[in-house]
Amino acid sequence: MNEPSRKLSVWTGFAASTGRVFSLFFARGRKARRTKVLFAFSFLPVVVSLMLRFHHVLSESRSFDGAYYFSNIIMVFYLNLIVLILALFYGTSVCSEEVEGRTLSYLLTRPLPRPTIVLGKSLAAVLLIAEMVGVSLLFSFLALNFGHLSPVACSRLLKYGGVLFLGVLSYSAFFVFLGSALKRSIFFGLLFSFGWENIVQYFPGSTQRLTIIHYLKSFLPEASSGRFSFLTFRLEATRPLPALLILTLVTAGFLALACLVFSKKEYLYED
Amino acid sequence: MTTVIETVKLSKWYGSVLGLSDVSLKIEPGIVGLLGPNGAGKSTFLKLVTGLLKPSLGSVSVFGEKIIGNYRLFARIGFCPEQDSFYDEMTGWEFLTGLMRLHGYSAAESRRRATHALETVELTKDRDRMIRAYSRGMRQRLKFAQAIAHDPDLMIMDEPLSGLDPLTKRKLIRLIKNFKAEGKTVVVSSHILPEIEALTQTIILIHQGKVFAQGDIHVIRDLIESHPHLISIKCDDPRRLASHFLRAPDVLKIHFGSDGRSLLLETNNRDQFFGRLTAVLAEGRFAVEEITSPDDNLQAVFDYLIEK
Amino acid sequence: MTIREKGYSHWDGCLSARPRPWWPITRMGIGLMLKKKPFRFFYYGGFIPALAFLIGIYISERIEDFRYLTRGSQKILEVNPAYFKAYFTSDFLLFMLVVLLAVGGAGLISEDLASNSLQLYFSRPLKKRDYLFGKAAVLAFFILTLTLIPGLFFVVFKLLFSGSFNFLSAFPWLPLSIIGYSGLATVFFSLYGLCFSSLSKNRRYVSLLIFALYLLSDLLASIFYDNSKNPVLTLLSLKINLQQVGAGIFKQKPPFPVPWLWSLFVLIVLASAFLFFLRRKVRGVEVVK
Repeated sequence: MNEPSRKLSVWTGFAASTGRVFSLFFARGRKARRTKVLFAFSFLPVVVSLMLRFHHVLSESRSFDGAYYFSNIIMVFYLNLIVLILALFYGTSVCSEEVEGRTLSYLLTRPLPRPTIVLGKSLAAVLLIAEMVGVSLLFSFLALNFGHLSPVACSRLLKYGGVLFLGVLSYSAFFVFLGSALKRSIFFGLLFSFGWENIVQYFPGSTQRLTIIHYLKSFLPEASSGRFSFLTFRLEATRPLPALLILTLVTAGFLALACLVFSKKEYLYED
Repeated sequence: MTTVIETVKLSKWYGSVLGLSDVSLKIEPGIVGLLGPNGAGKSTFLKLVTGLLKPSLGSVSVFGEKIIGNYRLFARIGFCPEQDSFYDEMTGWEFLTGLMRLHGYSAAESRRRATHALETVELTKDRDRMIRAYSRGMRQRLKFAQAIAHDPDLMIMDEPLSGLDPLTKRKLIRLIKNFKAEGKTVVVSSHILPEIEALTQTIILIHQGKVFAQGDIHVIRDLIESHPHLISIKCDDPRRLASHFLRAPDVLKIHFGSDGRSLLLETNNRDQFFGRLTAVLAEGRFAVEEITSPDDNLQAVFDYLIEK
Repeated sequence: MTIREKGYSHWDGCLSARPRPWWPITRMGIGLMLKKKPFRFFYYGGFIPALAFLIGIYISERIEDFRYLTRGSQKILEVNPAYFKAYFTSDFLLFMLVVLLAVGGAGLISEDLASNSLQLYFSRPLKKRDYLFGKAAVLAFFILTLTLIPGLFFVVFKLLFSGSFNFLSAFPWLPLSIIGYSGLATVFFSLYGLCFSSLSKNRRYVSLLIFALYLLSDLLASIFYDNSKNPVLTLLSLKINLQQVGAGIFKQKPPFPVPWLWSLFVLIVLASAFLFFLRRKVRGVEVVK
């Protein structure tokens, strides 16, 4: 076999191994009891949307700006809580769950390159989260915009969905790396999510660019000012293309680091 | 014979704690029993051989190739870990078919192999139950099944018989012996001597991270010169029988049993002694009921070597 | 004379019930939690407000020495029930208590479930209430050292620095308020932490749930309140309920115009729900179909 064919065969084999790991853990993840709990958790914005809608119906307000509530309340919910919690749990679980559950040896003694285990499980985690968040986002949007659906509104939904998907990708990659490298990854993850990200995103100047959420918010359309404009408070947005590039680098970089750490590290079970 | 596993000066430290020290050995096809008390280094050795741990010093090769980073070797290796851990919320069937799919088998082939493995360990009727509903013995059998389902050439089993009832133990021992007949290699670790004795005569004795002995149990026994062999004989006239050995230079001690029908001899040359005994008994003047070697077993070998 | 086996002799005394069967569980639990570095980091960090408030009490008694800092301001620091209420209901302290639950309390029951230890516990002469009380006492120890102990220390140091009992004669009910609020917070947080810990064998999942509920309740309350301006909706927030009750106990104006007894009722209902689910989940034998 010549060199290019051999390389292609190696990459094909790598992709196939990743696919096999993905299908096993995606199927397992969908059936897990905690997925149902987390799915219910991800539906809270839908409940909030319905309650906001009902409140306006009951208070007989003349106009209900669903788009305003969607942009300024629901997106806060997703970006500052739902995506973070889900990515933190599923991301750190990729490696930590195998070590804590002492099932790592079942995977490491299969004919699979170690990075494919990390990549396959990460992909399963990302798709699980995307499924939960996507369905929930759709229902929130419909609850708030029912009766005012328009191509503009639908394109806004797609844009917000895309931002959330980028958030799921980048946060998950970071937490997968944390889970592969650190024993108590959940604590560092909580510190990062609700300490660093929550605080530094409002810092002026370039400091806010040291957070992932800054780049996600940079994609959001110009939100109208109002009492709920938390998302765009003090935001000095980065242009979309550089923001996309940075998020892609963050995702790829942390996933690569996670694969490297997982390949080299010895995982000892705690007694 | 081709060497299946070879270690050269293999050592492993956990921080400042020694796990394994300077182990150099070759394992050939067949069944090898890895024997040692708890904490001896058996699991460490097996994890080094399977690449789950990296050596601090030395090297490990399996089928002539380095195991570290060589994931393709695992198509030929089956590992039954010691830990009683599984994926929650999976049935036995899902667990096995899932692992078979990771080997790259098609869905149909995975099902076929899983079915065969479950039949082998007699878990077919419980295959659709959740693993967390399995008893200890069923979980152990499931672990065994996942190690053999892909028909590996080398099976590495860490305490595979723990938690099993005697009947199931016997069945699995027979199964492991069948693997040997097929030309496969099985490395079995245990701290329970009768299990190892039932499986194989070839042992590796590990204690405090070091290999004390390797080879056939009886050959090792013969090498332990500091402990003369004990031979126990039950007959109608033990004292008259003993008189035939009083002048033999290899007979060191003779004890008479309190029942008046037995004697216990210590000899430092078993072959010479048995030659002489056979000649005496062939004269037909003694009615011998029983001849045994109380210390020609693994327990004695183990005790003597640990004592050393 | 009967021959005894080496190492064993039958004890002919009579067995009596231990007076505090939960104590070994509590002692071991406290020791295990203090062994974890992340837990110690957050626990010691939780003393920062206490230290700051203690320094404030000192400054309040030496206000003349610090006048140069105030630049003519008359009253910058007055130690009164509002001062105590500010400490006990501070966002930072309440957040640290939740962090301690997530970091240390999450594993109290979940690790026993994961290692199947409940059967070992209940095969001893130990009732379920002793087990639960023992576990709750672990959390209570840490919560009380961050609430009751600093609160009482503030009173003592205030008296010491002022050199008289005027403070206590002005507010004789204050120590009771400190004990009352600390007790309420301890019971609530202990039941909160233990209930979630009993829900899953996965400690990481439990930590996240503990954290998520606290943050979520606050976020929901602020969204609904900001939208409708109906203060009753603030009762959705665990933090606000605790702050309302704290204000009531220290006889201060609550942060929201809702009777503080309503918040107390919400906390009691929640604590009862936690206890209900806790008793259901903790069983000696798990029946798996």
